[in-house]
Amino acid sequence: MKKKSTGLLFITPFILFFMLFWLIPFIYGIVMSLSKYSLIMGNQGFVGFSNYIKILVGDSMYHNSFLLGLKNTVIFTACTTPFLVLGSLGLALLLDRLPDKCKGIFRTIYFASYSVSVTAVAAVFVWLMKGNGGYLNNLMMNIGIIKKAVPWMEQQPFVWVSLTVATVWWTIGYNMMLFVNALNEIDPQLYEASAIDGARYWKQFRYIIFPGIKNVFYFVLMTTIIASFNVYGQPRLMTKGGPGESTKPVIMVITSTIMDRNDLGIGSAMTLLMGIVIVICSIGQYFLTKEKEELR
Amino acid sequence: MKKNISKILLLMMACIIAYLFLLPLLFMVFTSFKGVAESVTSTTLLPKEWTFENYIELFHNTDTSPVIQWLINTAIITICGTALRITTSVLAAYALARLNVAGKKIILIGLIWAMAIPEIVTYFPLFYIFKQIGGLNTYWALILPSGSGVMCIYLIYNFLIDFPKELEEAGLVEGANIFQILWHIVLPSVKPVVITQAFITFLGLYNSYLWPSLVINKNETRTITLGIAALVLGENYTNPGMMMASTVVSVIPVMIIFIFANKYIVKGFTHSGIK
Repeated sequence: MKKKSTGLLFITPFILFFMLFWLIPFIYGIVMSLSKYSLIMGNQGFVGFSNYIKILVGDSMYHNSFLLGLKNTVIFTACTTPFLVLGSLGLALLLDRLPDKCKGIFRTIYFASYSVSVTAVAAVFVWLMKGNGGYLNNLMMNIGIIKKAVPWMEQQPFVWVSLTVATVWWTIGYNMMLFVNALNEIDPQLYEASAIDGARYWKQFRYIIFPGIKNVFYFVLMTTIIASFNVYGQPRLMTKGGPGESTKPVIMVITSTIMDRNDLGIGSAMTLLMGIVIVICSIGQYFLTKEKEELR
Repeated sequence: MKKNISKILLLMMACIIAYLFLLPLLFMVFTSFKGVAESVTSTTLLPKEWTFENYIELFHNTDTSPVIQWLINTAIITICGTALRITTSVLAAYALARLNVAGKKIILIGLIWAMAIPEIVTYFPLFYIFKQIGGLNTYWALILPSGSGVMCIYLIYNFLIDFPKELEEAGLVEGANIFQILWHIVLPSVKPVVITQAFITFLGLYNSYLWPSLVINKNETRTITLGIAALVLGENYTNPGMMMASTVVSVIPVMIIFIFANKYIVKGFTHSGIK
């Protein structure tokens, strides 16, 4: 009996914060998405699904900007995911084969960039890559690799390259750490006997290493896709969505719909649509890893 | 012999990659010591002439860059936010794992759903609520949302579930009250996962950009991360040396903490239950 009241006492603070800062905003967001809602005028009445319809079909500017944002986000995800997943796996495998003495220091170096903020990443990469006066161009022109400055930050497709390089540098260490831990859990006896020349290493990877880290691999893949879908800071700060609107991701479309066009209703509907896509990805990941577990 | 050669090749590869990882950071540090004229034309990493003018100007020009104020704001919101999240999470996780709580199942299912739904879904309604109650540009807007750390609770809960509860029961038999048990028995045993979560929360708060950019728009209430963003976006900021000096100031505290906390964060990955 006494235990019951302490349980309630202990969980109440969290429940309170959860209600106020998660559940109520979440439900409020659904209500907003079903209403004509402006940042300045507030609620102007229930409109049913018309916000969603405006976004999904027809030829309104909301439809066009949402689709553009979605397209850009998908391009960004397609550019970064291979490097972030396969590259991080490569790094982890490399670390795994280094002498034990050096493992720690290299792991820290590869992981350190993950600790800085997106604004620091943007500040550094803007001045590394800038077409005019950027370090990379200065360096390459000096050595003679290129004659004219490359517009890394100003022209497509170079801008995607810059965003990809910055993002990979920033977040690859996180995925690498997940793989490092997965590799550590493989029973060393399983591949102790194998030699390390090329062909055999591939076999070892195919039959011993990969089956052992399969679940982590799918986890990394799906979380990377989800994280890339949530991209905002890098394009916001490095390119402001440009050139034109070619690097404007969904979240930037949403923030400009709400903050610049004052349209909370449409903005909330866009956010929820994006949320649905992400939840579907999460559910997919859940089943992908679960099924593999049962197979073993 | 062959084994040694491949070891050396691997080590060389590791060194080259390490250099590529460090290059942006080295560029940041060294550029901050270059003068304007040198930094826009420079082709070497190291400055030819070392100068402190960027740092002097950065700390003097408190109108555009009140760096000290930004750092103070950041310290307040990261420390309070982390303390808040850890307190609510440990209490709730303990209650869920060990005590009788009505609707435990519903709460746990709610936690899992809340983890799957991206945070961005709650940001704009929450921003609007803060706007309506006059909470914009306050510390509250940055601190209070940390109180609902669903992931944090879930991980501590999982840790406790796997942890033997005999010690706590022995404590109960000996007549210790619930708070004594919590402080002397539970807290020491969940310490590894709590420390890890504290560091991850701290880093997250220190580096967060989207949420603060919604609720803060006055220069003197910005965090350091948000302040640097304002400088990056400021059109007249055309001096890379100056830009890098401000970035160095923002990165140093978090780097120090990160290198110190590295091993706890690494442990956190093993605790996160992904296998």
